[in-house]
Amino acid sequence: MNELYYIIFLPLIAGIVLSAFPERIKIIKGIIALIITGITFFFSLKLFSVSEKIINLDLFSAFFNEGTFLNNILQEANRFSRFNIDNLSKFITLAIGFFGLVIIVYSLSYISKTRQIKNYYPYFLITLGFSAGAVLTDNLLLFIIFWGILGLTLYKLIKGYDEESSSAAKKTLILIGASDGIMILGIGIIWKVYGTFTMSELSIPTTYPILVVAFLALLTGSFTKAGAFPFHTWIPDYTKSAPASSSAYLPASLDKLLGIYFLARICTDMFTLNQWLTFLMLLLGVMTIIFAVMMALIQHNYKRLLGYHAVSQVGYMVLGLGLGTPLGVAGGLFHMINHALYKSGLFLSAGSVEKRTGKENLDELGGLSKNMPVTFISALICALAISGVPPLNGFASKWIIYQGIIDFGKEPGIANQLWIIWLGLAVLGSALTLASFVKYITGIFLGRKRKELEGIKEVSILMWMPNAIIAFLCIGFGVLASTFVVPKLIMPITGEFAYIGIWDSTTIGILILVSILLGILIYLIGNIKNFRTEDSFIGGEIFREETSYSVVEFYKGIRDYKLFSFIYNWAEKKWFDIYEISKKLTLGFSGLLSKAHTGVLTFYAIWILTGLILMIIILTLMS
Amino acid sequence: MSTLVTLFVILPLATAFLIPVIGRVINGFQRTITALIFLFLSILSVYILINVNPHIYTYKIGGWEPVNGIPIAIYFVLDGLSTFMLVVINLIGAFAALYSIPYIKRFTAENNYYALLCLMVGGMNGVVLTGDLFNLYVFLEIAVIASYALVAFGVEREELEASFKYQILGGIASILILFGIGMLYWNTKSLNIADVSDILKNTENNKAYLVFTQVFLITGFGLKAALFPFHAWLPDAHSSAPAPVSTMLSGVLIKVVGIYSITRLFFNMFEISVEVSTIIIVLGVISMVFGVFLAVGQWDIKRLLAYHSNSQMGYVIIGLGMGMLILANNGSKPVAALSIFGGLFHLINHAVFKGLLFLNAGAIEFKTGTRNLKEMGGLSESMPLTYSTSLGASLAISGIPPFNGFFSKLIIILAAIKGHFYLLAFLAVLVSIITLASFMKFQKFSFFNKANLSPGRKINEVPFFMCFSMVALAILCLGLSLLIFPGVREIIIDPAVDVLMNTGSYFSAIME
Repeated sequence: MNELYYIIFLPLIAGIVLSAFPERIKIIKGIIALIITGITFFFSLKLFSVSEKIINLDLFSAFFNEGTFLNNILQEANRFSRFNIDNLSKFITLAIGFFGLVIIVYSLSYISKTRQIKNYYPYFLITLGFSAGAVLTDNLLLFIIFWGILGLTLYKLIKGYDEESSSAAKKTLILIGASDGIMILGIGIIWKVYGTFTMSELSIPTTYPILVVAFLALLTGSFTKAGAFPFHTWIPDYTKSAPASSSAYLPASLDKLLGIYFLARICTDMFTLNQWLTFLMLLLGVMTIIFAVMMALIQHNYKRLLGYHAVSQVGYMVLGLGLGTPLGVAGGLFHMINHALYKSGLFLSAGSVEKRTGKENLDELGGLSKNMPVTFISALICALAISGVPPLNGFASKWIIYQGIIDFGKEPGIANQLWIIWLGLAVLGSALTLASFVKYITGIFLGRKRKELEGIKEVSILMWMPNAIIAFLCIGFGVLASTFVVPKLIMPITGEFAYIGIWDSTTIGILILVSILLGILIYLIGNIKNFRTEDSFIGGEIFREETSYSVVEFYKGIRDYKLFSFIYNWAEKKWFDIYEISKKLTLGFSGLLSKAHTGVLTFYAIWILTGLILMIIILTLMS
Repeated sequence: MSTLVTLFVILPLATAFLIPVIGRVINGFQRTITALIFLFLSILSVYILINVNPHIYTYKIGGWEPVNGIPIAIYFVLDGLSTFMLVVINLIGAFAALYSIPYIKRFTAENNYYALLCLMVGGMNGVVLTGDLFNLYVFLEIAVIASYALVAFGVEREELEASFKYQILGGIASILILFGIGMLYWNTKSLNIADVSDILKNTENNKAYLVFTQVFLITGFGLKAALFPFHAWLPDAHSSAPAPVSTMLSGVLIKVVGIYSITRLFFNMFEISVEVSTIIIVLGVISMVFGVFLAVGQWDIKRLLAYHSNSQMGYVIIGLGMGMLILANNGSKPVAALSIFGGLFHLINHAVFKGLLFLNAGAIEFKTGTRNLKEMGGLSESMPLTYSTSLGASLAISGIPPFNGFFSKLIIILAAIKGHFYLLAFLAVLVSIITLASFMKFQKFSFFNKANLSPGRKINEVPFFMCFSMVALAILCLGLSLLIFPGVREIIIDPAVDVLMNTGSYFSAIME
């Protein structure tokens, strides 16, 4: 299987080699990285056409000759290098290759001048290799190693230059590392009970408490990576401080792909869920949707706003996969790929805006639609897609998930009885998403333009092109959802299923597109010059800067509403942040222990004596 | 071959003697000879580890053969475990000595420093080589007394106080150990470890007597290994010493005089028992958990690192202790072997990454003049090598792949789950997470953040030899991950694991 070498090890080795070269030749490094990513994408396309199989890859003989000392001692490790090429992993690998390619093109222009991240390209390539490795491997140990290294590259792709960004980097690696540690527990339990690390051999019922613990441990890992409640808190901080290309690459696309991939693996292949676990997953799913979107509504910083949405959308995927029905799983996976598309598109557009204006807050921006038309159109399409407006892809996948929930309600069970709640909250979340994206689009691209933003120009083709491609795919995936995308990409993974609702995406999509085109035509035919443009009317007063209200102000009402303001206050004090809570607990306990260390020597001698006597007593009693 | 074994003790001791004499005349002798001797010894130990491992070498000092099966001569025993420890001691010693070359120049009395360093290494080599209880005590005292002086080397108020505490508590430990050895001698009339183990096995022993002796020895060696609640000297001593000495203390000394001695005596001399192994595990767990909680709140870099030594020793101890408990319960041998392997693996890993971290802390102190995390920041730009090596070491100690600490912790956790120690596995993960948190704190405040340095200080990278040691250890942090491969493990750690697994065969291997 040559493809696997090219997909996993080529970027890895290239990344390690590139990191040895000095930073001065950054452009060359970028171009080499682009070529490598292109090759990887090509081979992941090729892999997509390979039929399903499990292969044992000879990892080391490729590098060391047969019979040499190194070959001999490394040979035994080959039993761990089992790779599973099934429809799911092929699909995810292809998506990883695609996003890698698009984002590296964007990075070429974005990274080289503005944000100096050391070794950006090497870590980019290493991330690419390990992501593909984590998806394709069939061995849990190899998986956790790859998975863990991805946390490290995530940490290296953000730069800690001030208090806030350093804290974000720290928080990110602590949460990711913690979840990896917890996953090891789950893997250990599986190994203890089943004696194997091979994922494809496992089929675990969640009937015994210990197996439930194993499931929850692995679930923690995938939730943290994908960013679902309650382990999501690193994402908004990370996206706020990291360069937009890093945010688009990891938290928005690759981490989602990986996290949801693993969630799909454990929920559908490795474990059979009992009804309480289903209930738990659905509950966490809707909580993710609602909490994150509520937080997104009140954000001023647009990258942080996108970060909260990167969390909120995960809720839909968790909902879909939690249902466990083919319809639900298909919806979840389809939403995952859609999310990766529109969210990375949104981050790229945010990056373009930030690069051109250097501003990070919505209330400092506005009216950029004329200056940056391509970025505006792409951002608009992505924003409509994430809000679930038909015929875009976000609607298509949410629609499948809604159908899945309704279908799910027909079965008996605790979680099933509550289907109307899941459905209602999911739809509500979608509406709130639209509300907050009105803020995003209006705040940046529409409204009054500030004086200092006059000279802003569109970004270079290397930056708008990837963004436009992604926006175009958002339309394509939406319009072709029921005719091409779902049957060709998703159905091979989940098996055949029937919709319970009717939605012929192509017909309706074409109808909508035609009507939009007609609208544009009418707009163009009717002479534009005839339109009169006026300043905002404010009671006859002359418009002045200080009287202008930014779009952010409109959302203050939510913040001030009594019940919500109470919750928001708590949230701002970080009472819902699992990281902050654990930090407080840990430091509290640490302070207590430190108080016991007075530095008085006699006191320490007493400890020793106490320890000695206790041991004598215990040992005498025991024997 | 067996005569070569004595070189490990003779060479450092001879150098320690020569340095004050020749070093006075020839400037630079002390630095060069120490580094060279340690390098030679580490190469020799690695050579022995790779090439001559399965055999046990005994060297009888004076050449006296046993009379009627009673050993008269003092034995030097080189088996898998000793070789493994020798590699750790001399390798870290060599890097510490190289690092000292620029670092110690700012102190006066270089001769004394290097002489004491040689004494310490010679003493530790003696501890792992000797097959005799009283010699164990003597070598241990050589190493430890040298370390008392080295801790006080800065002769400031803080250093002297730390050294004083260290001496007092170390003195208590020495008395307890000597008392324990006295008890053994009283009963068995022998000081040879192998002989004592044979006598203990073949005679009916008073329970109370055994309990008493064992507790004294555990307390004594536990003090040296700084297990809770006997740890109180460690944070002061390890943070006050000059950086390369901290490296030796944290990276090697507590392992050799503490953990190695406990392991050797309780696996190979006493018969393993469920009670003692439980006590050892409990001590390990307490150290592991309390140590990390204490560490995470510290703002002094070296104090933070010192408390982590407590905590990481807990991992080593539970790895070894679980193996012991499983063996004592006649449980599954492969699990016991895995657990012991995990413990020893973590031991060598800890020596490397903690040694490196102390060197990093030393480099930061060397340039910024402070150890307080709140007073530094933004060093990743000005000290790139220190930054990248310390990041590697921090990730290694926190158990992030692909660094060595991940693999040893993984093995300890897997062994704990396989051996039904679920609580231990959970605590090991929890401690690992808090370790990660505290090292992220270290990284954040020293290398990122805004610089809070006192103005006017120009920070640049440290001199070549300091960089060299740090980079070499950082490479080892990555390279030791290879020990996870069965083929590598068989060569390097399995002989040591075998010594501990076949608890009863120590006697037969040496005396016959």
